[in-house]
Amino acid sequence: MSGIGAHASRNRGAGLEFAQYRAYEPGDEVRQVDWKLYARSERLFVREAERESPLTLWIVVDASASMAQGDAARPGWSRLEASKLLAVGLAELALAGADRFGWIVPGERGIVAAPADGRRQRDRLRLDFAAVVATGTFAVTDLGLLYERIGTHDLVVVLSDLFDDAVVAMMLRLAAARRDVSAIQILTAEERDFAFAGGHHFVDPETGSEVVGDGPAMRAEFVRDFEAARKALSARLAAGGVRLATHFLDEAADAPLRALFGSTLR
Amino acid sequence: MTPLLLFPAALGAVVTLALPLAIHLSRRSELRRIDFAALRWLSARPRPRTRLRFDERLLLAVRLLLLALIALWLARPAVEGATDETPWVAVVPGASNAVVPPGAHGVWLAPGFPSLDRPAPGGPIAVSSLLRQLDAELPRGVRLTVVVPPEITADAERLHLSRAVVWRIVGGFMSSRRPTAAPPNGLIIRYAGGREDAARYVRLAAAAWQAPGHAPDIDIAPASQPLPQTNWPLVWLVPESVPAALLDRVQHGDTILLDVAATTDIAMDTAWADAVGKPLVMSAALGRGRILRLQRRLGSRAMPELLEPDFAARLASLLAQPSPAPTRVAARNVAPTADGPAYTPPAQDLRPWLALLIAAVFFVERLLASGRRVRVTA
Repeated sequence: MSGIGAHASRNRGAGLEFAQYRAYEPGDEVRQVDWKLYARSERLFVREAERESPLTLWIVVDASASMAQGDAARPGWSRLEASKLLAVGLAELALAGADRFGWIVPGERGIVAAPADGRRQRDRLRLDFAAVVATGTFAVTDLGLLYERIGTHDLVVVLSDLFDDAVVAMMLRLAAARRDVSAIQILTAEERDFAFAGGHHFVDPETGSEVVGDGPAMRAEFVRDFEAARKALSARLAAGGVRLATHFLDEAADAPLRALFGSTLR
Repeated sequence: MTPLLLFPAALGAVVTLALPLAIHLSRRSELRRIDFAALRWLSARPRPRTRLRFDERLLLAVRLLLLALIALWLARPAVEGATDETPWVAVVPGASNAVVPPGAHGVWLAPGFPSLDRPAPGGPIAVSSLLRQLDAELPRGVRLTVVVPPEITADAERLHLSRAVVWRIVGGFMSSRRPTAAPPNGLIIRYAGGREDAARYVRLAAAAWQAPGHAPDIDIAPASQPLPQTNWPLVWLVPESVPAALLDRVQHGDTILLDVAATTDIAMDTAWADAVGKPLVMSAALGRGRILRLQRRLGSRAMPELLEPDFAARLASLLAQPSPAPTRVAARNVAPTADGPAYTPPAQDLRPWLALLIAAVFFVERLLASGRRVRVTA
């Protein structure tokens, strides 16, 4: 299984892999001249390496309304903000490996950015993501578009809370179609600890349904059920060939990237 | 020792106790709306508890205590009859050998009644007034000993105190201002034509007031000369009606001696009489000053007292400001009697101590309210 930082054999990089000889032209660097060949043939040839990046990274960000949720302990730091940070981290990893990367934000005003490499691509990502707001539900209106754009063996990283079954189904189908799919599930610390005191109206931002309850009384049951659901999801994704890392909003953002792609940043 | 409230109506302020109770209660009752996407795993079965509960009970208790103390402070608490039976020994400054028996409370008889450990206070001491004050302020039944020098300054009223006082006369001397009439610093003499002789008598007498070797400050001139702006006495030897400007000077505090022939409609009393009782000089108070008038011509024939050796001193005492009444009296003659009225000693006000307590509780309240705390609500 290949990933960013672990696919050196596929990404050769500039000057590493011999591609062809061509005749010396004025203006070529002298150090690029193959002097052994000159000794044999008494002609000046220049070694030219063909640079190509066979790896393409797709960053898929869930921008449904549930992604706007954050912790009360850190107002303003929502799942979506963490997703943006993780996306930039992924872009930096791709940049370090000279890989091409693009991004898809499904939704009514969805964004699809064609893969490219270079720092300008990273800056475009930051510009695009600055305008993204979490609203509505996760909707892949045209799944065929995804198959069309995302090529076989392309690396796909989905940033989502994975509460919506549409996201999970999409990932499983992509993985079944021989795309290399990873997911980073972004959860709040409140979903992990459920440290609510007193009575609360819990409102689902996507469906609008409400649950009224006392925090301490609900805690044990919720933590147990939520843990079980996460285990079930993890097993389901693993069976489908999707790698899963979990990021909690109060933890360091580089941990899920290391878990998925190793710690060596080329 | 009876605790009491001087303004019990202020206890109505305890209704403000409801305020912190309401503050600490209201946080509990409201339900917060919270976005929660993982609602699927949340069961609504447990209802929020609606029992009466208070947040941050320690802070609430401190706030209640603070308000209760403030209400108590407004009600002006005091204690009555907090009797301290320690005998008192009051020493008049200047008394020597003031021995305070052990267990007694020794003070100087001076304003504020400073302790005997402090140096003797200076300044004028009104012994009678201070004794009456001390007698009124001490609780009934406290034995009072007053240590006095043989002579003290006292006022004209006999000391009638509410208790029998041990009146101990010891040695020593109580300093005080002696009632002395200093001769005037200078003299203004104005004379009309024909009064030159009289003016010379007055000038010579005034020269005798001055210390030897000291040039006399005497401004002698004919009546047409202007008067200097001093408060020296004026001898006006002009046999005419007194000008209004002169009377105005007298109104403002000057002393003026008029000629025998000067005319004025002010009624006067005898200030100096000769051996047979006939008046030589008459005087009257006018405004803040005094006006005097000679009754004879100034000459040895008409007024043989001119030649007496004490004429200069007589003239000085006439022109000087009146001397204060004597206040020194032998201590044994003014021993207080115990037939005076008794006073209810004032209740001791507890508010200063309460204010300290309130400040301390307020400090604790601020510490608790502004310190770090766990925000329990999300």
